[in-house]
Amino acid sequence: MKQIVEARKIKKTYGARGNLFTALDEIDLTVQEGEFVGIMGPSGAGKSTLLNVLATIDEPTSGEITIDGFTILNMNEEQLSNFRRDKLGFIFQDYNLLDTLTVKENILLPLALAKIDVIKLEERVEAVAEKFGITAILDKYPYQISGGQKQRTAASRAIVTKPSLLLADEPTGALDSKSATDLLESLKELSEQEQATILMVTHDAYAASYCGRVIFIKDGKLFTELVKGKSSRKEFFQKVLDVLSALGGGTNDII
Amino acid sequence: MTLFDLAKKNIQGNFSNYLVYFVSMVFSIIIYFTFVSLQYNEKIQQSILLSNTMNFLFMASSLLLLLFVAVFILYSNSFFTRNRKREVGLYSLLGLKKKTIGKMLFYENFLMGMLALVVGIIFGTLLSKLFTMILVKLMGSSAEIEFGISIEAIGQTILVFLIIIIITSIQGYRLIYRFKLIELFHAAKKGELTPKVSIGSTVLGLLLLIVSYWLILRSFPEELTEGYILANYGIALVSMVIGTHLFFSSVVISLLKLYKRNKARYYKGTNLIGTSQLLHRIQGNARTFTMIALLSAVTISLFGAAYSGYYGNEKNSFEMVPFSYSHQSKGDEFDDQIESLIQADKEHPITAQVELPIVEVEGQLTFTFSYEVTAMKLVPVKAYNEVVKALQTGKVLSLSEDEAIAIKPRLTEYNSSLFKGEQLHLSDEMHELTFVDMLEGSVLPFDYPDFYIIVSDEFFTEIANDIKPKLYKVYEVEGEKSTAVTSEKINQLVGKEDFQVYPSFYTEYKEGKEGNALTLFIFGFLGLVFLAATGSIIYFKQLTEANETKTSYEILRKIGVNKRAVRNTIQMQTLFVFGLPLTVGIVHSSVILNFISNFISDLIGANVIVPIVTAMAAFIVIYIGYYILTVHTYNKIANK
Ligand SMILES: Nc1ncnc2c1ncn2[C@@H]1O[C@H](COP(=O)(O)OP(=O)(O)O)[C@@H](O)[C@H]1O
Ligand SMILES: [Mg+2]
Repeated sequence: MKQIVEARKIKKTYGARGNLFTALDEIDLTVQEGEFVGIMGPSGAGKSTLLNVLATIDEPTSGEITIDGFTILNMNEEQLSNFRRDKLGFIFQDYNLLDTLTVKENILLPLALAKIDVIKLEERVEAVAEKFGITAILDKYPYQISGGQKQRTAASRAIVTKPSLLLADEPTGALDSKSATDLLESLKELSEQEQATILMVTHDAYAASYCGRVIFIKDGKLFTELVKGKSSRKEFFQKVLDVLSALGGGTNDII
Repeated sequence: MTLFDLAKKNIQGNFSNYLVYFVSMVFSIIIYFTFVSLQYNEKIQQSILLSNTMNFLFMASSLLLLLFVAVFILYSNSFFTRNRKREVGLYSLLGLKKKTIGKMLFYENFLMGMLALVVGIIFGTLLSKLFTMILVKLMGSSAEIEFGISIEAIGQTILVFLIIIIITSIQGYRLIYRFKLIELFHAAKKGELTPKVSIGSTVLGLLLLIVSYWLILRSFPEELTEGYILANYGIALVSMVIGTHLFFSSVVISLLKLYKRNKARYYKGTNLIGTSQLLHRIQGNARTFTMIALLSAVTISLFGAAYSGYYGNEKNSFEMVPFSYSHQSKGDEFDDQIESLIQADKEHPITAQVELPIVEVEGQLTFTFSYEVTAMKLVPVKAYNEVVKALQTGKVLSLSEDEAIAIKPRLTEYNSSLFKGEQLHLSDEMHELTFVDMLEGSVLPFDYPDFYIIVSDEFFTEIANDIKPKLYKVYEVEGEKSTAVTSEKINQLVGKEDFQVYPSFYTEYKEGKEGNALTLFIFGFLGLVFLAATGSIIYFKQLTEANETKTSYEILRKIGVNKRAVRNTIQMQTLFVFGLPLTVGIVHSSVILNFISNFISDLIGANVIVPIVTAMAAFIVIYIGYYILTVHTYNKIANK
């Protein structure tokens, strides 16, 4: 099986000398093609930092990262941009849709940027919109649709280029439970049926229970890892809760 | 800590936000003060006292400037407060009393205003010195204008701006009362709607513009009545204003929507982003664009016309007063006195001296000639040829006995085909002359009616037997543009009877130059102010927009748009925002200038192309400066 993400000894520190703060402390992470991996941990543990570093939006202080066979740390700004455009897809908690574009235009944006032929582009958008059930709202603007629809639009945009890696930072954070479930089902389907590789940061055990594997971080260090294996989603959910309480503080202050 | 301290701390802590507002206030004060100090300048006061038009021009300009400065400050003030609503909301949330916040904002604005007033007057003093020097240079006089600080100017500036500052400070005080808390937090976040346009308004917009252009450009009717002028140009003005507004609020939107139709092009690279952002913002900007386009049109037109006048002055003076000195002969004693005066001026030696006998006759033309001819002035060809040699203009002529050549009356636009082959029957009913041509170029200073006819020497002698000719003496000297002293004396001696203009070239030239320079200066000054202000307004707008769309560009960067592409789309949008109103302004002003130059080209000399193109180029260059600055700042905000 193909390795999509290989990160070794990633370290990220903030602040100047004398007042150093280590957000990530020598983290190792490997993700195989088609895996749906969750990242959990208390607030401030470094989850978003890790995701941003893998997303090439942020630079690690030291360490090595290979994504889909490319070593990303030596790339220049333009190469990184193209890499993000061609290889990565993103979903963020606050959707990050462009207000001036319709749902359809938001989805096709990455394809337009890659200068894909119009006919092919329209086909792709149709297919993806159908998958996320937003065909009916394609001509609406973001301010005209609900949060769940916005997030499904963002997810459509993230996968429309068939990226090697899909990164999601608390995608269900702002959604009601019905919308959240819809989105998680879609993501799960994507990884099972289309071998999409997904990395999802979440603080919600319910969301994490949809993953095939969950890694836990605390204070910038890898704490433990849970694999779903053959267990049911309900059993896995319980296991996640157990680890969370072991992590300390209980679920309540994990925000 | 007193309120006063809090307000002071506010300014210190948040200086860059205040800077823009402060700079616009200082800018307004500087230009107003500069203009007012010039107005109180002694030399300018003189010309104001002497000429009603100049007086009117200065009055109107300073009123316009005052209005403009007030609007500009209020505009920057509202821009400034809009960016601070959230901060004000926060104070309120923290439990400060409304009254306290209001007072704080009042003090803050007042303090800044006072500081701006001091700084503005100091810089304005320096700047008015610079502008005085420019004016002196334009007028071509050496050290005739004294420069001094004018107490009246300072007083007037302080009075005017104190009122404006108090008004804006009260606005600040009322901010907290005008809005609900929730509104303060949603200052910038209004629902962005896609603009809807009807085909009707698009067509109407284009139609109105075409109609206004047509009305302005069509030639004058036979009889030019006041009613016609009012109706024709009144309608033209109104339809231009409405048409321009519809152009920005409908036509441009329709065009952008049309552009969107071609998906293959629209869905390519960043076109999608640029176009949709423009489309979303244009309706909100339509009013500003209209104002800027119209303001630019007016400025370019006025400046172009004024510059044409200045530029054409020499040619115009030469046409009005062809020789350095001219006078009618009044006996040997008088003539000798003039001649020795001119000879005494060793710095300007005589290069040519001609005696011109002129016979005034009455007669009938065989064609309708709209110039009112009660008298025609006959010039013998020999004398005319001497004039040609003396002035080194035109070519030497020869005429047979019954031939004649007309000289085009000044300030008219006839051409030679009107005269060729036509005849003149003199009132004595004994003589007939046939016109073989019409020439340009006059022989004597202007005096109405200005209709000279060149005839053969034989014919002239014959006529001169019956009617005694008037004899004119004309002199051409070297360096006629600097004959101040001698010209003054000649003017005194000759007096105002001989011609309707000055008998010496220098005086005509100099007066025209000073008058035109002053007009040019005023329009140039106002133009510069409008230009700077419109440029700044677009700059402000774009910066507000940059702050609002910052997140959009962050998203784009995240999904793989590189910095260069983001920069490109910012450039494209900014170019559109600057270029569109400017282009409309230039097209409008071309139409207006075409009209103006038809109207006055003969008054100011034919060559209006060079000055008008210069005026437009100056406008464009300054706009390009603003464009570069805006792209730079926008990019710094949105593309880090
Ligand atoms: N730009 C930054 N400068 C300084 N500290 C930062 C910065 N970004 C994040 N941090 C710190 O790094 C730690 C990890 O942050 P983050 O990855 O956002 O946590 P989370 O796990 O909640 O997503 C936090 O303590 C945060 O305060
Ligand atoms: Mg986070």
